[in-house]
Amino acid sequence: MKAILTDITRCIGCQECVIACKKYNNLDSDIPRQWHRNDGLSARNWTSIIHKPDNHFIRKQCRHCLEPACVSACPVAALVKTDEGAIIYDAAKCIGCRYCMIACPYGIPRYDWDKAVPYIQKCNLCYSRITQGKQPACTEACPTEATIFGDRDELLAEAHRRIKADPDKYVDRVFGEFEIGGTSILYISDIDLGFLSYPVRGETPVLPKTTAPAMNAVPPAFIGMGAVMGGIYWFCKRREKIQQEKTNDKEQS
Amino acid sequence: MNRVNIFKSVLWAITGAAIAFGITRMFFGLGSVSNLSDATPWGIWKGLNVIPGIALAAGGFVVTAIIYIMRRNEYHRYAKVAVLLAFLGYLTAATALVVELGLPWMVWHPIIYWQHHSALFEVSWCVMLYLAVLFLEFITVPLEETNRLAKIRRFLNKYKIVLVFLGIMISTLHQSSLGTLFVITPEKLHPLWYTPLLPIQFFISAVASGPLMLILAVLTISYLYRKPLEKEKLAALGFASMIILVIYGLLRLIDIGVQGKFPLAFEGTWQAVIFWIEIALAIILPVLLLSLRRWRNSAPALWLATISAVVGIGLNRANIAGIMLLQTGPVYVPTIYEITISLGILSAAILVFLFCLERFNIWEVKWQDPREKPESPPEFSRPADVWLGTPRIAGRTIYSLIFIGFLSLGFAMISTERIRGAGAEEVPVTKARGGDTLFVNGNRDAYGVTFAHEDHVGRLGQNESCVLCHHMNLPLDKQSGCHACHRNMYTVADVFRHDWHADPGGGNLTCGECHPPESQRLSTTAKPCAECHKDLIPPGAVITVEQYDAPSYTDAMHSLCMDCHHQKAQTLEGKENLAQCATCHIIDIPDYLPSEIEIKFRDTTFNHVVVPDIDTAGAEKDHSI
Repeated sequence: MKAILTDITRCIGCQECVIACKKYNNLDSDIPRQWHRNDGLSARNWTSIIHKPDNHFIRKQCRHCLEPACVSACPVAALVKTDEGAIIYDAAKCIGCRYCMIACPYGIPRYDWDKAVPYIQKCNLCYSRITQGKQPACTEACPTEATIFGDRDELLAEAHRRIKADPDKYVDRVFGEFEIGGTSILYISDIDLGFLSYPVRGETPVLPKTTAPAMNAVPPAFIGMGAVMGGIYWFCKRREKIQQEKTNDKEQS
Repeated sequence: MNRVNIFKSVLWAITGAAIAFGITRMFFGLGSVSNLSDATPWGIWKGLNVIPGIALAAGGFVVTAIIYIMRRNEYHRYAKVAVLLAFLGYLTAATALVVELGLPWMVWHPIIYWQHHSALFEVSWCVMLYLAVLFLEFITVPLEETNRLAKIRRFLNKYKIVLVFLGIMISTLHQSSLGTLFVITPEKLHPLWYTPLLPIQFFISAVASGPLMLILAVLTISYLYRKPLEKEKLAALGFASMIILVIYGLLRLIDIGVQGKFPLAFEGTWQAVIFWIEIALAIILPVLLLSLRRWRNSAPALWLATISAVVGIGLNRANIAGIMLLQTGPVYVPTIYEITISLGILSAAILVFLFCLERFNIWEVKWQDPREKPESPPEFSRPADVWLGTPRIAGRTIYSLIFIGFLSLGFAMISTERIRGAGAEEVPVTKARGGDTLFVNGNRDAYGVTFAHEDHVGRLGQNESCVLCHHMNLPLDKQSGCHACHRNMYTVADVFRHDWHADPGGGNLTCGECHPPESQRLSTTAKPCAECHKDLIPPGAVITVEQYDAPSYTDAMHSLCMDCHHQKAQTLEGKENLAQCATCHIIDIPDYLPSEIEIKFRDTTFNHVVVPDIDTAGAEKDHSI
């Protein structure tokens, strides 16, 4: 399982990762559109740098969740979680329902609103590169090694090592280790990164598991409803028949 | 004109305009007609047509269950109306999906690509199956008109009970699965609506709304066509619905109570207000009106109760499918185009409903448009009879005219700006400020460039270096700023004023003075500005002006600096970061700026970064240092 670890304290906001991403994935240059959200991601920006006060730069991209809500939501399996950890998108299957955009707890997938043949657009962890044994374009481009690529377990260990080595500097938490089932994109930071996902009331649920009971109840509900209706039908039919017989008897007598 | 004519004319008008907008959407994308956005991917087409539409079409399975399974034969005459209502309800949902889906021609994909964890996968399967079932249930009605397919009709009638069973079982699944759709968004849906029991609530409220929708349709028909009402039967149906509404209301309130969310309902937020409006319309008012025998036997109370319940349950679906989802961007307000398409789909469905009512044997007596007498010849003979065929169609010329008129009006209403710009905002550029060091920040956000003008002049070779960048002035001007022509931050600006040149009060030029003869009069073939305006181009300017269009400010500035910066980053020792964005772009406001400059987006956490196309390989222009 591959992953990316981004150390917010090392990021200088140079946007080299953004440019590398655009070049490798052949994304056009972009202009602000009325349908953009204010976080820099768009159909043509798969990663972006968010500026926070006091020169904090946070790179936003698809989190490649371990329990992805988008994959569970997609009705045609156009979004797939691969063994490498990347969530990839098959445009040939997509029907354009945008349910993944509703389901994603980080608000990542973007849409080609201006195209007559629109597709979902999001980071795919440079899947074609990582299957060749290379690292994604963004981590390769980073001049300060603020964002690095590797095995998720090793990166987690590295993240904890860095936090332990300098506990005054970092928030004592690896963002993405456990949230919403865990993500393949990990952050360590000196500020709280809660704003990257939507605020959740109470415990953080694993999203695909929320719909699982309802979806598992589908076959029993189908058969059960048929059985109940069959019972009522038999009962009403029989009552009708008995009444018919009674009236027939009366007529005969 | 009578009630039916006026009603139908309005419906035809809305349908016409909606078709015009729908065609625009198909050719220019969703952004050309809608305000849907990355923050609000589902809008009123889903929140108003698809999800409430399916809920309100539940009459099909509820009423057939009452008639065929519970053997209540006294309602038999409503069976066909209920099935037709359901069929059209599902067709409107399907039509809205065709407009709403990004790739509607792929809508059949769930048949071959299975993903059984997805609620939407189940919904799409069930809707497809149920549409087929409803089609088979309804098709016997038009088949009564002809003797050719009598075998099929008899077969379908004989096994109707199978279709009824299938319809109920399939409906149970997808009515509830529509609720499951939003169980996956606990962090987005407002807690007053979010509950894991959404599927059950959706199913029960759909069961309640089915007969109520039928009553409303029957009331409307009897009003339009001035037919007598069977109030007792309608009241009995209404009473049954009321009982289910009570169950629904109790389930809803108990669920909120168990989750301890009642304080939220009294917090005085707008969500709480809408919550109480929804509860009042969907549950309290209809239950009150339908519980007393005296009230539910009167037409006004039935009208009020059904409209209130239908609006309330529709509002419930709209709340869950859109209004109460977390706003993650600017507030979504549907455009006039979206609303018209939404209403147009409904109008078309009502027109089909009225057509079936007049044409087929749905009420066991045929309803007729009072204006139309099919047996008698049309009122006046017109060429329209020849064009449109039978008198029956020619008799509807008024509707055709209204339809075509509003179709054209719809096309005329479409804003070309919206299609051409497809949502691009035209941000005007403000002048770069400062002295020796300029603060270049066209849209006055907090992500500008500090450009050391004097330093660059020194490095690039004093006075000879001006023409490396400065390439054009406005007429009668010697030092035009960049913002004078590159007027738009992100879009191309037209710098040529045609009327000033051709106007008798202006330049008073004839066409031939700029446009060469024997060629099309286009901006591309006209002669360059500098041929007349000798002072426009500074002598020796490196950048040549070939067009009458000025590129956007961002493109102009980036292409001016970046070729050279990329080149120097590779050749100069220790200057690798020259090619990085952050080398030039700064986030704070420099101290040397005059204090009166207003920064617009000071607070935003992010400023729109436009990453341009960069061609580092071909950067071999003559920027001699």
